[in-house]
Amino acid sequence: MRMLIRRAGLAAFLLVFALFVVGPLAWLALRAFSGTWQYPHLLPDSWTLKWWTQVLDSADLGGSIRLSLVFAPVVTFVSAVICLPAAYAFARYEFPGRRFLLVALFATNAFPKIGLFLSMAGVFYSLRLMGTFAGVVIVQLLGTLVFMTWLPAAAFSAVPRSLEEAARDAGAGPLRVFFRVTFPLAAPGILVAMILSFLASFDEAQGTYLVGAPNYVTMPSTMYELVVNYPGQVAAVFSVLLAIPSVLLIALVRKHVMSGALAEGFQLR
Amino acid sequence: MARRTPRLRALVMASPPVLVAAAFIGLPVVSAVLFSFGYFGGFNSILAEIGQHEHLVTGTSGTLDAYRDVFGDSEFRQSLWATVLVTAASTAVVLVLSWGIALYLRLSGGRIGKMLAGLAVVPMFIPVVIASYAILEFYSPDGFLRSLAAAVGWSNAPVYGYTMVGVAFGQIWTNLPFGVLMMTSGLNAVPDALIEAARDAGASTARAVRSVLVPMAAVPTTIVATFTAIGVIGSFTVPYLIGPSAPNMLGPLMTYTFESFNQPQQAEVMAVVVFLLSAVIGAFYVRANLRGAKETKR
Repeated sequence: MRMLIRRAGLAAFLLVFALFVVGPLAWLALRAFSGTWQYPHLLPDSWTLKWWTQVLDSADLGGSIRLSLVFAPVVTFVSAVICLPAAYAFARYEFPGRRFLLVALFATNAFPKIGLFLSMAGVFYSLRLMGTFAGVVIVQLLGTLVFMTWLPAAAFSAVPRSLEEAARDAGAGPLRVFFRVTFPLAAPGILVAMILSFLASFDEAQGTYLVGAPNYVTMPSTMYELVVNYPGQVAAVFSVLLAIPSVLLIALVRKHVMSGALAEGFQLR
Repeated sequence: MARRTPRLRALVMASPPVLVAAAFIGLPVVSAVLFSFGYFGGFNSILAEIGQHEHLVTGTSGTLDAYRDVFGDSEFRQSLWATVLVTAASTAVVLVLSWGIALYLRLSGGRIGKMLAGLAVVPMFIPVVIASYAILEFYSPDGFLRSLAAAVGWSNAPVYGYTMVGVAFGQIWTNLPFGVLMMTSGLNAVPDALIEAARDAGASTARAVRSVLVPMAAVPTTIVATFTAIGVIGSFTVPYLIGPSAPNMLGPLMTYTFESFNQPQQAEVMAVVVFLLSAVIGAFYVRANLRGAKETKR
């Protein structure tokens, strides 16, 4: 009897939890295909694709999609150039100030985003970065620094030193050892960091809106205006479109994320 | 010499991300704090030119007038209170849910555990803007919750769209994946042998959890609590889209103050308040991390 109650309780929790997590997304996805939908019907009264053509034909909305697809790769590339050497250094060397640099880097996570963005906007006015391409890249870059350093650092330290030494004994120079042994073995971890960085940039809305608008309005920052100015179905279509890259890319790295590698990235070592 | 060169090179290699953070996080924060006290030189000069209702000083002693403005405003005090409440409530729920799911997965495992964990990471796949909009619609007057309630004969079920309860739902939703991933990995790191040893010594499961798992997972628990709290305090999108127009959380209020009311100084006073709140929380994070790093030091 107690077993039965426990099982029923667990099943009820699972159901409520599933509704809490997935319900809003399913409800929004339905809305993207709905013509009329009267309360309190649980499904739309009629179905249509006209909202999709409206979104895809609109020059504004199309432009923001293109803009998002430009920013994300640029930010990922810049972030990789800045962070990968640091990742290697943190993984392979003991050096003066290592601990300090680690704590400083992690402290960047301890600033509440919106307060930080407003402070940045103040300085950006003076540096003439408000409303510029570079300004948006910098805002988005800041969200990628920590894991772009830490995940690759974990990948580098997982490469056995004995392999590198063997290559060196066979006469390979340090650069050759790095590019033929260390880098290929660490590549999967680096790829995960790059995908997460791409997504962080692609999904960043508040800082991009504050710094970029009205010149650079990316897909997620368009949503702020869309919700107010368009019928609900248009926002729903836009949401589905905006979610596609995230879902596809995170699905690719799902195993790595679930294995706890991401969680490890938030602990200093 | 042979030893010193690589160490110096490593320091140079490791510096760029920290320098970028110092330039675009450290410097703005320092400028914001100075501006909030009325100093308008350097990076604040243009802001001071365009802003309204400013209290600027020319000498060396700052002024608290902007703080007086902000704290004298009842909308700010209500927002501050709302922010603290939402932060405490959603952090508590995230902690309970992620501990519960991670614990179930650790002790029972099985299909249900995997399903719970799988569900809990779904929000990671969805950009926050979309999630917020979806949650607003789900709990709106003609949303799913009300439609379902009406279908079973409850015609005046509550509306959570544009309420602080809705905002808390949104915060829990968006912060759940991080909590669950962190706690799952934290509890998995506790060796089976330790839990079994406690049970062999006659401890019940509850006792084994309390005396072995809770202390062993103190570091990830602190990280989940601090990260969630800081994330919620600094959020804009969730309260902006889901919350009421006022009193809402500080994120939207300081953005309106900065952009719509053109009062950057008052906005940065609010930013400083938020920094102070999270500095207190952040101190716990750094302390827990340093302690954890010492324990695992090779």
